Amino acid sequence: MRITTTRFGRIDVDGSDIITFPSGLPGLEGCREWALLADSSNDALGWLQCTTRGDVALAVVSPRRFVPDYSVRIPRSELTPLAIDDLRQAQVVVVVGRTGKKLTLNLKAPIVINLEARTGRQVVASGDLPLQFVLSSEQPPLKKSA
Amino acid sequence: MLVLSRQRDESIMIGDNIVITIVDIRGDKVRLGINAPAEIPVHRQEVYEAIQRENLRASRLAPSDTQGIGRMATRGPSNGQPTPPPASRGTEPR
Repeated sequence: MRITTTRFGRIDVDGSDIITFPSGLPGLEGCREWALLADSSNDALGWLQCTTRGDVALAVVSPRRFVPDYSVRIPRSELTPLAIDDLRQAQVVVVVGRTGKKLTLNLKAPIVINLEARTGRQVVASGDLPLQFVLSSEQPPLKKSA
Repeated sequence: MLVLSRQRDESIMIGDNIVITIVDIRGDKVRLGINAPAEIPVHRQEVYEAIQRENLRASRLAPSDTQGIGRMATRGPSNGQPTPPPASRGTEPR
């Protein structure tokens, strides 16, 4: 299938690469079919591209690469629709957002993907987790030449 | 809005497969039990709306906005969770 996107131009997506979100996503309930794309210049990042709306895409990352101790409690009722009973059967990614000039991660509502069944869902994790976890870059200190 | 009065242990049916039961009433707090098919998400309204807003905000990001994100990773791919697999051929961001 060829889709036209605003960020990546025209791309080819195999039917078997499509991930179905039966409930869409909050705010994007109409988008049920998504393709997970790699960002060719950035291996920490992927893009979930809605296949039915070329202008809708979400940047996603693997949360533990940025928040090493990120662990979520997800109610079983949130996992059952994905036909998984254990998070280890799934890939968990979080959506990248922005506040002011800083990039943020939505740690409160991760996206859980059943890779085998190619289904996904954004779930609400229990506990007091931020919707906008601000990322900071550790810049190496500038060295002054002697 | 349909307004109904219910006492403890009474229920309301929505459609033919959603049942809401008053589990407990204590002071100004009501505990509700919700029986709904698994594929229908059920959330406190303010939480759901906050997630909606955040998704809509996030859906405006473009590759140029996320360029610096690699620097913020604290782990490389070899010792963290796997990065999202490329589902199709990688694309050049515009």
